[in-house]
Amino acid sequence: MKNIILFISALVIIFFVSTSCEDDISSEVRLETSPELVVIDAWINNKPEPQTIQVNASQSYFDNSGLIGLSGAEVVVLDESGKQYLFEEGEQGAYIWTPTAGETFGTVGQNYALAVTYNGVTYGSVSSMNRVPPIDSITFRFEEANAFLEDSYFAEFWARDPVGAGDSYWVKTWKNEEYLGAPDQINIAFDAGFSQGGAVDGLIFIPPIRDAINPFEDEDGTFLSPYAVGDSIYVELHAIPNEAAFFLNEVRLQTDRPGGFGELFASPLSNVPTNIVASDGETEVLGFFTVSAVSSLGRRFE
Amino acid sequence: MQLLFAVFIFFFTLTLQAQEKVTISGYINDAENGESLIGATVFITNTQSGTLSNEYGFYSITLEPGAYQVEYRYLGYETIVRDINLTANQRIDLELGETGVELIEVVVTAEPEDINVSGVQMSTQKLDIQTISKLPSFLGEVDVIKSIQTLPGVSTVGEGASGFNVRGGSVGQSLVLLDEAPVYNSSHLLGFFSVFNPDAVKDVKLIKGGIPSRYGGRIASILDIRMKEGNSKKFATQGGVGTIFSRLALEAPIIKDKASFIIAGRRSYADILAKPFTDVLDDGAQLNFWDLTIKTNYNVNEKNRLFLSGYLGRDVFKFDAQQGFSWGNQTVTARWNHLFSDRLFANFTFFYSNYDYELSFGEDEFDRFDWDSQIRNLAFKPELSYFINPENKLTFGGELLRHEFEPANAVGVSNGESTDISTPAKQALEMAVYVGNDQKIGSKLDLQYGVRFSNFRLLGEGNEYEFDTSVPKGFRQPITNITTFDRGETIESYSNFEPRFSLKYQLDGASSVKASYNRMVQYIHLISNTTASNPLDIWTPSTNNILPELGDQVAVGYFRNFGEDNDIETSVELYYRKTQNQIDYIDGADILINKFLEGDLLPGDGRAYGMELFLKKNSGKLNGYISYTLARTELQVEGINNDDWYPTRYDQTHNFKVSLFYEPTERWDFSANFSYISGTPTTFPTTRFTVQDYVIPYINGNGRNNVRIPDFHRLDVAATLHGKKVKKNGKVRKNEDYWVFSVYNVYNRRNPFSIYFAQADEIPSDAAAIPTQATRVAIIGSIVPAVSYNFKF
Repeated sequence: MKNIILFISALVIIFFVSTSCEDDISSEVRLETSPELVVIDAWINNKPEPQTIQVNASQSYFDNSGLIGLSGAEVVVLDESGKQYLFEEGEQGAYIWTPTAGETFGTVGQNYALAVTYNGVTYGSVSSMNRVPPIDSITFRFEEANAFLEDSYFAEFWARDPVGAGDSYWVKTWKNEEYLGAPDQINIAFDAGFSQGGAVDGLIFIPPIRDAINPFEDEDGTFLSPYAVGDSIYVELHAIPNEAAFFLNEVRLQTDRPGGFGELFASPLSNVPTNIVASDGETEVLGFFTVSAVSSLGRRFE
Repeated sequence: MQLLFAVFIFFFTLTLQAQEKVTISGYINDAENGESLIGATVFITNTQSGTLSNEYGFYSITLEPGAYQVEYRYLGYETIVRDINLTANQRIDLELGETGVELIEVVVTAEPEDINVSGVQMSTQKLDIQTISKLPSFLGEVDVIKSIQTLPGVSTVGEGASGFNVRGGSVGQSLVLLDEAPVYNSSHLLGFFSVFNPDAVKDVKLIKGGIPSRYGGRIASILDIRMKEGNSKKFATQGGVGTIFSRLALEAPIIKDKASFIIAGRRSYADILAKPFTDVLDDGAQLNFWDLTIKTNYNVNEKNRLFLSGYLGRDVFKFDAQQGFSWGNQTVTARWNHLFSDRLFANFTFFYSNYDYELSFGEDEFDRFDWDSQIRNLAFKPELSYFINPENKLTFGGELLRHEFEPANAVGVSNGESTDISTPAKQALEMAVYVGNDQKIGSKLDLQYGVRFSNFRLLGEGNEYEFDTSVPKGFRQPITNITTFDRGETIESYSNFEPRFSLKYQLDGASSVKASYNRMVQYIHLISNTTASNPLDIWTPSTNNILPELGDQVAVGYFRNFGEDNDIETSVELYYRKTQNQIDYIDGADILINKFLEGDLLPGDGRAYGMELFLKKNSGKLNGYISYTLARTELQVEGINNDDWYPTRYDQTHNFKVSLFYEPTERWDFSANFSYISGTPTTFPTTRFTVQDYVIPYINGNGRNNVRIPDFHRLDVAATLHGKKVKKNGKVRKNEDYWVFSVYNVYNRRNPFSIYFAQADEIPSDAAAIPTQATRVAIIGSIVPAVSYNFKF
């Protein structure tokens, strides 16, 4: 919702006074140094493919040299029955669990625990695999050109949130096999709506969410059609625990900085939460552990 | 009740004591247009004592019978001196003419104005609309809110931000009153322009400290804006065409010297100009903002006057006929001035104020989202001023204010299925009674003291929410219990005594020292967690979880005038303000359409202190003022910045401003405005880490506002060219007109508003090596020239 408002605000202000400007000042800014922390990027799901947990070191903010993987960690996920999923070390901090033929990770309704041991400290967390509804269809809708948009085709995915509040989802989209991974494309739903307090339950996902699978690119101030004949689209619906949805919401707040006039309405920079704790109770750790059940659907626009 | 009784006894005893004395009273108006003059001096030369006219131009002074010389003075106006042989009560209504205007009365040169030294009120600044109009402004639009930002003790988070911050108060801690009705959002276009039409504004007073007991409801400051009453002498028009607004104001007598009206409107017109050249505005799309101010008054008789004023304004931004966003304020004020006697002035005010916004999105009726929100007030405010004698003026009254909050009425329709996600409405009753006395003790010591007793009730129907407070501070508190209350039941109630005290001690004819203390209580809270406040921000009442905000301020000051005619005023003030129950937010707080909002709020304490210097030259071809503020504003909130104190986003160490006016000839005026402001605080990250291919910033040590953006400085200039006063044929022109040429940000500086950190737009194929960068944003990053044409006749 906030994005829509910022978008309107920006349009309005551009219409009246276009005077804001931005400069890249990365080379002038001096940041304080900080110690290297362990980062655990553990998002695993029930897709029939190898599951990866990444164990890295944090970097100074302007370090663009690529991830620093940590080697020599022990990574294991346990389910309620005590079954262990061992993640074996691969390259550059990747720890991988490979399913046997026909096997997938986890069962809906089960809780899972993560344990990562590195340098004598064990980092732990828990998550649960929640129910996910199927994506029934993907459709394309035509909209005539207007002041802000050329003649456009918008994609929408159709799925119905199961009755009962408390479900949350992460909608991930690929256009022509390219993942839409920009911070402003993070698409989160609480039940079928925007926020937990809102209580939109048991509905077909509301329009801003089912519409948020459209990538926007502008050319001279006009937005190009998100999809054209021949394009393919692939949507995954990840059922995630509430706290993972809050985490992604925070990630979006902290990484999708509006810039320009939008800075008037920016929130203060702050640290995103983590659900991982160190066994010694003091070592700081970053990252997040989430287990999700996934449904998906793809379509080519013809 | 006991308090009221005590007041009554006090008042009664004084009445008895003062039996044998006699009173001069009346109204003081402007000779040219009949507008009442607020704060005109009535001075008794024999006794060296005096009084000031009130907000309605009324004065009253009670003396022993005898012969007196009375002077009526107002800055920029000719002084009138009357010799009066006072044997019985006498009513003297008077009109003062602007300097240069011929009058039949005996005229002497204006006596030096020294109210800043001799008045008891400190931390108060008055700006008249003439000064406001002369200041260079952004895009040439005269702006009340931006002009008070040239005064000491006033800051903002930056250019383009709505509202203002006084002595460390947040935007929502200042009460903005338009003819006594609160205005909840004082901005057009998200903060670039203020909602007050300069053509309809008469007087602007900012009270930063030593706040009298008649004001309450906010803890930082009061901005009291009074509208013109309308010309009661003759029909007059003024208006203009600016870069943003076109304006027109009409005023006229309805019955000469008895009743008049003013109607003033403004509208942005960029959309009208653009219409022929673009199809943006077809299909019902709209982009405009406007306001309309209306006021009328009627002098029923010597004892009764009626006023009715209203404001209506709106910003409208629509993509097409069904989708868009709009917001605006509406206020209506009805007032009745009644003289119970020559010495007992009463005013009864009823007002209504409403702020609302609405948003609509959606392709058609099967897929829509409609959302609106509003805050409504209905109030009754009686106030009586009893002019006991020249040494005492007693003011007492009350306020009964009904608040109605509709935080969100929101209905989503998805594929034909509709869901109502509205949050419940809330209502509250705020009551206050107050008494205050202005007392002179001897010729040197003046006191102003009083107390306000306020009570706030959150009323049903509604819910009381209880939260799990064991959650670590800084995180969302889950709801544990909801209790429902019926209509009219009290859900929560708070009462407070708010003592107020000010003192002036005259050192000599040209200097004085002043001191003040005030406690203010605020029962309704602006919920805003963005850098600048925005139109979607809601107000919320105090509840069992949100305690009333309390503010205690002490201030001391030294005031001194220089020059033969006291035409140079200087002052230095020191203040310290301590606040409790200020509101901050958990990270990722969900403040819109959230029933359980209270679980996302964090209470904290605040402290603000500083020094304000002010130097003003009132007369001469070159005049103007200089403000300097050295200040610190900090908050301490459990759950933020490791529970340590941190500076607010509008904390500015040095804030230096110069406003100069130069009037070399009759036809040309020049003005300039320079500001130098220390960089405001912001938060820089230290570290990056990657989760699911998103590069996330991390602040080692989890600090808030740990660095400062570079300093801000800017120069604006304006030149006014007045039309010729005399026609070619030698006749005097009936109408006046003038052009204003202004340049904002003369040396084209990209003043930083903020610095933000984000991953670069391009995502490389190796997502692991996503570049990160720091970007500096300037809101108005270039030189902005503007021209406007204005007329008056």
